[in-house]
Amino acid sequence: MGNQVNSILKPWTRIAEGMLTVVDTALFAAQSAVGALAGEEPVKPSTEPPWEGPANIDEATADFANRLALLAALTPLKSGALVKAGGNILAAALQSRGSIERKTLRQWMALPIQLPLSFGTLLTQSSFRALHGVYVVGLEKLPDLFFYAAELFRDAEIFVTLQYNEYLALLQNRIAETPNDAGTRIELAQTYMKLGCYPEAAREMTEAAKDRDFRAAALQGSLIANFLAANFSQAVSDGIASLTLEPSNNRTRFWLWQTAQKLDGYPPEVPPHLRMEMKVGYDPSQVQFEDVASQIGLDKTSGGRGTAVFDMDGDGYLDVILSSAMAGCSVYHNNGDGTFRDVTVGSGLEDCVNTFCITVGDYNNDGWDDFYVTRLGFYAGESALYRNNGDGTFTDVTKQAGVQNWGPGFTAEWVDYDCDGNLDLFVSNNAGKFFDRRTPNRLFHNNGDGTFTEVTREAGMRTPAPTIGCAWGDYNNDGYPDLFLSNGLARPQLFRNNGDGTFTDVSREAGVDEPGIGFVATWCDYDDDGWLDLVQFIWSWEDDMLHNLIHGAPPANGHSLRIYHNNGDGTFTLRSKELGVDGCWGTMSGNFGDFNNDGYLDLLLGNGGPRMDRIEPSVILENDGNGKFHNVTFAAGLPFTGKGHGANMADLAGDGRLCLIMASGGFYPADLLTASVFRPKSLPGNYLNVRLVGTRSNRNAIGARLKLNAAGRSQHRLVSGGSGFGCLPYEQHFGLGKTDRVDSLEIVWPGCLKQQIQDLPINNTVRIVEGVAGWEEVYKKRSSAAPLGCELLK
Amino acid sequence: MPGIALPGVVGGMGSLQMFLDGKKSVVVLFWSETCSHCLRCDSYFNEFTENHPELRLAAIAARQGETIAQIRSAISERKLRFPILHDRDGKVAIKWYTQQTPRVFLPDPARRLLYRGAIDNFRFAADPEYQPYLEPAIQAFLAGKPIERPEVASFCCAIQSVYYLLPKALS
Repeated sequence: MGNQVNSILKPWTRIAEGMLTVVDTALFAAQSAVGALAGEEPVKPSTEPPWEGPANIDEATADFANRLALLAALTPLKSGALVKAGGNILAAALQSRGSIERKTLRQWMALPIQLPLSFGTLLTQSSFRALHGVYVVGLEKLPDLFFYAAELFRDAEIFVTLQYNEYLALLQNRIAETPNDAGTRIELAQTYMKLGCYPEAAREMTEAAKDRDFRAAALQGSLIANFLAANFSQAVSDGIASLTLEPSNNRTRFWLWQTAQKLDGYPPEVPPHLRMEMKVGYDPSQVQFEDVASQIGLDKTSGGRGTAVFDMDGDGYLDVILSSAMAGCSVYHNNGDGTFRDVTVGSGLEDCVNTFCITVGDYNNDGWDDFYVTRLGFYAGESALYRNNGDGTFTDVTKQAGVQNWGPGFTAEWVDYDCDGNLDLFVSNNAGKFFDRRTPNRLFHNNGDGTFTEVTREAGMRTPAPTIGCAWGDYNNDGYPDLFLSNGLARPQLFRNNGDGTFTDVSREAGVDEPGIGFVATWCDYDDDGWLDLVQFIWSWEDDMLHNLIHGAPPANGHSLRIYHNNGDGTFTLRSKELGVDGCWGTMSGNFGDFNNDGYLDLLLGNGGPRMDRIEPSVILENDGNGKFHNVTFAAGLPFTGKGHGANMADLAGDGRLCLIMASGGFYPADLLTASVFRPKSLPGNYLNVRLVGTRSNRNAIGARLKLNAAGRSQHRLVSGGSGFGCLPYEQHFGLGKTDRVDSLEIVWPGCLKQQIQDLPINNTVRIVEGVAGWEEVYKKRSSAAPLGCELLK
Repeated sequence: MPGIALPGVVGGMGSLQMFLDGKKSVVVLFWSETCSHCLRCDSYFNEFTENHPELRLAAIAARQGETIAQIRSAISERKLRFPILHDRDGKVAIKWYTQQTPRVFLPDPARRLLYRGAIDNFRFAADPEYQPYLEPAIQAFLAGKPIERPEVASFCCAIQSVYYLLPKALS
C-alpha cells in the first residue's frame, strides 16, 4: 500500500516543487519590497557568528520555530506544564528577537506584514524538504525521518553548547514527578549513553524495561549500553530478552551479533533463531589488509571527521591531518620510516577544534600547501583558511583573505574554475537547524594577491536545498571544470561551466537530478574511457543497511551508492545495479583509488550514522575491470564495525601500498572511535606514483588530467581532492599489476597545455613539472631490507 | 614546561613547584566540571594519589565561563578529592597548548615533558580494544625507562569555544 501511494506521489513531486518555489519567491519578493519601503537594507547572509542572536527577521522566525519545537519536545501533556509552556513561548519569542532593531515608525509599521511573510517562506522552505523526504523515504517512513531529524538537530544544539546537564536535569525532574514514565526514562538513558555514562544508562534502561509497552526497546538500549561498557555477558542476556520479544528487530539482532564478535562467537545460550550471519563482504579479494594505525602513530581517538594527506613541509613525505567534531585537528608528520609524529603543538592549529572537512590547496602558489576547514556541518561554525608558513606552522588568514563563512559548512573544495592559474574555493553549506534558513553555498574567486572575492551570485549558482558534497570535474572535456552538488534530502545539481565565469544548471538534461539523501560525491573515470564519471555517495536508512547485511542483498526500494556513467554527450546513465554497487550503506564519506594495484579504480565507503546506536562497517568495492565491483570488505580483513568519516587513500610510505585511512567516530561526546589505517600486507602489484607541479597552472595541478598507457590499455586520472571529506593527496597512484613497463604518460594541464612523458620507471614515485621535459624521482631507491619508508632524494 | 601560579578552588594558591616538592613528579590535568569524559574518570582521579604515592595530581579548571561556584558544587556533589586550580581566563591552558579536557601532562622532576595527551582510548577495561596511555607512561617513568608513546591526541570538550558565547537553546 505504501509503495503504491509513493508511486502515485512521485510524478507529482516536480510539480509540487515548482509550485513551492513560485510561492517562496513571491513571498520573499513581497517581504523584500516591504522591507525596502520601510527603509531597510536587503538581508545578506551573515558571515559572523550571531553573538546577539538572530540578526534579521528571517533568522528570528526560524529561531522562534526551533525554540517552539524544542519546547514541544520537552513539555509533557499536562495542564500545569502547558500553562508554564505559555510563559516559555513568550520568553522564546523575546530571545528570538535577537539583535533586530526597529528604529523608525515605518519599520514598526512594516513588522506586522513582514512577520507573516517571513513565516510563510519558512513554511514553504520546510515543505520543500518534507516533499523530498516523502520522495526519498516514502510516506510510511516520513514520521521516523521527522523524529530522527528533530532529535539530531535538538541534540546538536544541546551538546555543542554543553547544555546537557540542564537537559539531564529536565528529564530527571520529569521522572521524579512521574516515575512510571518509561518513555522519558529511556530518553534519560539515551542521554547518559551519549555522554559515556553507560552504567547509569543501563540502570535506567533496566528500570524502563519494567513497563511492558517499552520492554523490548529498553532491553535493546540496555544491550547497547552494556556492550559499550564492555559488560558483554549482560549485553547478551539483554539482547536475548529483547529479541525474544521482538524477533523481527534487526537492530537488536545486529548488536547481539556485534557482542558475539567480542566474545569470539555466540555464547551457547543464544538460540539459533536469534543469531545472524554476515551475508555480504566475502567476495574473494586480491589484497589483504591489516590495521597499522597504532603501529605507525595515526590511531587518534575522537569524533573523527575529515582527513587530508599532503606534503606539509616540502620534505617529500606525505603528512596527515585528522580533524574531529569532538576534539581538535591533529597534524601528523611523516618521519620517513613509515611512522608518524604528532606535531600539532606549536603548529598554530591548537585551537582548530570542531572541524569537519579539510581541503588542501596552495592558494598563493608559494610552494607550501595551505588548507581550508569547515566546522560542524550539522549545526554551524566558522570556516577557516590556514596559510602554511613553510616552517611547520600555520596562520589563520580567513579574514584577510576574505573567505569567511559562518554556517553549517560541510565540505569545501579547491578548483581553478577559470583556469587563470590561481586556486578558487567552493564551500558547501548544509542545514544547521530543524527549521533552517538556507545558508548559501559560496564560490570565492582568487584575486591572485592572497585575497578572494565571493562570486556565487554572479556565477549563477542558486541552490535551494542544503548541500553536503561538492565535486569539481570537467565532465564534457571542454577544459573547464564543472560542479556537481550532492544536496542532502533533495535533488542533486550539476552546474556546467560556461567558461566565462558563469554556470548553467544542467542537472535535469544530464539525468543526474534524482533526489536522495546525498552525502559527498566525486568524479573519477572508473571505466577509463576518457570521460569523467560521477560517484554520489548516498546515506541509507538503517533498516535498509541491516537488511543488506542480514539478507545479502538490498531491499527492493533501497537507496544505494550512485555511479553515473558519462555517456560522452552531456548525459549520464545510472549504472549502480549493473556495476554491482547497489548495496545500501549509511555512507558518509567515500573515495576511490586502485588499492589492489590491478589498474582499475576501486571504491572505499565510510559508513554509519549520527545516532549512538548506528554502527556499521566500512566497505571496500573492488573493480574487476570487466564492469563489476565486488564487496570484498571482510575477505580483505576489514573489521565488522565502525563509523567512518574522512575516507582517504594514500601511499603513506611511498612503497606502492595504497593505505585506506578512516577517521572514525560520531558527534556525541561518547561516540568516539579510533582512526584506522588499513595497509596491504604485501605489495599487490606493480605501480607508479606521479606528482605534478604546475608552473603556469596552479601549483597543485588541480584539474589536470592524466592518461597512462601501459600493456595496451590506458588509465585515466583527474587531479582532485577526491570527495572532499577525505582530501586525497594530489599524488596520482597507478596500479600496474604484473606489467613491468609504462609506455607513456599524457598530461593535460589546467589551461589545456599538453605534455607527454616517456621512459617512466615502475615501482617508483616521480615528480613532473609543467612544461619541463622528463621526470625526477621523489624518493631514492630503497634496499630490500627497508620495507617501510624511503629516503628522500636530496 | 611553563610555570603555574593559580588560585585553588577551595582557597590558597598552587604552583607546579609546590606540587613537585617531595614527590617524584606531578600529573597536571586540564579538567572541567562539565566535561563528560572528566566525569567518567572521577574515581580514577580520586584514587590517583593512593595508587601512585610517588606522584601528585593537580587539576586545572580552565574552561571558558566555568565559575568557582560551579566547580565547588561539582566537588561537593561528586565527592572529588583531588586539588583543583582555577585558570579563569584560560591563559595557562593556552601556554600549555591545551584546548581539550581532559588532557594530562607528566613532567620529570626537572619539569621536562615526558608525556602529554589523553588518559586512554575511551574503551572500558574489559574491552579487548582498551588502550591506556597515561598509566604506561607513569609506569615507565617510575621504572626509569623511556616512555614508548610520549604524545597522544586528546579528545572531548573544548576549553574555549564560540558555542559557549552564543545564546543558548535551553535558556
